[in-house]
Amino acid sequence: MKPFAEWLAQTAPSLAIQNHEWVIPTIQSIHILAICAFVGSVLMIDLRVLGWVWRDHSLPETTARFGPWVWWALGVLLATGVLMIVGEPPRELLAISFWMKMSLVAVAIAAHAAVARRPVKALAVAAFVVVVCVIVLGRLIAYDYVWGSWSTWLKG
Amino acid sequence: MDIAAVPAWLEASTVATAIRNSLYLFPLIESFHVLGVSIVVGTVLVIDLRLLGLASSRRPFTVIASDVFRWTWMAFALAALTGALMFATNATSYYVNTAFRTKMVMLVLAGLNMAVFEMTARRSVGDWDRDTAAPAAGRRVAILSLAIWIVVVFLGRWVGFTLSTTAAPANEEINLEELENLIPK
Repeated sequence: MKPFAEWLAQTAPSLAIQNHEWVIPTIQSIHILAICAFVGSVLMIDLRVLGWVWRDHSLPETTARFGPWVWWALGVLLATGVLMIVGEPPRELLAISFWMKMSLVAVAIAAHAAVARRPVKALAVAAFVVVVCVIVLGRLIAYDYVWGSWSTWLKG
Repeated sequence: MDIAAVPAWLEASTVATAIRNSLYLFPLIESFHVLGVSIVVGTVLVIDLRLLGLASSRRPFTVIASDVFRWTWMAFALAALTGALMFATNATSYYVNTAFRTKMVMLVLAGLNMAVFEMTARRSVGDWDRDTAAPAAGRRVAILSLAIWIVVVFLGRWVGFTLSTTAAPANEEINLEELENLIPK
């Protein structure tokens, strides 16, 4: 992974991002705005499964209302996420937080797909906890040293 | 006490010192700040789109508001608490940071905007509760609210990139040279 990250950092798109100081904070801000839309939407779906909100609508009606927002937000998160990797390859690809986050993103999506089909309350709570972990791990990419010696094995 | 002395006092407080001396506290507090902000902005989006008639427009506004606002406020409490803790760790630097100051002004504007809503469109909610969109006064508040919160998120990120002092821990057992590479962004 390290040679790949070092190669990517020397490519033209990466250099273009690195040469403009405002790009990374702007992409991060858009990434966070998409997180807002994503988290607000899955929160409503999970709370509907618990029966705490949208009680006058069925779960399918609630997922029909918020589902498209979840997918659009994920699309923006993927696009801005890729740009952040291109702009700062070692920061992302050599961070253990990043890979833990990506693993939990897959778990979060699978868990919510399951919740939408089978509205089990405990599963909805667990699915949202996974989303919280994704957010925490996303922020910890900037502080990967919190993992101690773990954070060095990718950096080599 | 002089208001300008408050940041220095906060920075020297036991809580601020404890956070600075920990490797883990600041990153964790910041993570939960992002969680709080996400739920605040995500739920405000639900309300604003309803006012504009762009989503959930067949559901009465009052029902959506009672569903959503309690979560907005709980999340705001989390964001405010974690924000205050982060501010305390480096209060003198945050206090003079333009992005931080502008963000605080924006939060005041968001509050004023809500107050305007309470005094105008909300008073006649019985007349438009089941309408597709709120009347013009309500829609204006919704547009302003969306604009303000988007700016707040950008400014929040800008604080992290422009703060003169890093929040990296000042623990004596830690090799500061190693930490140079780890300055958070």
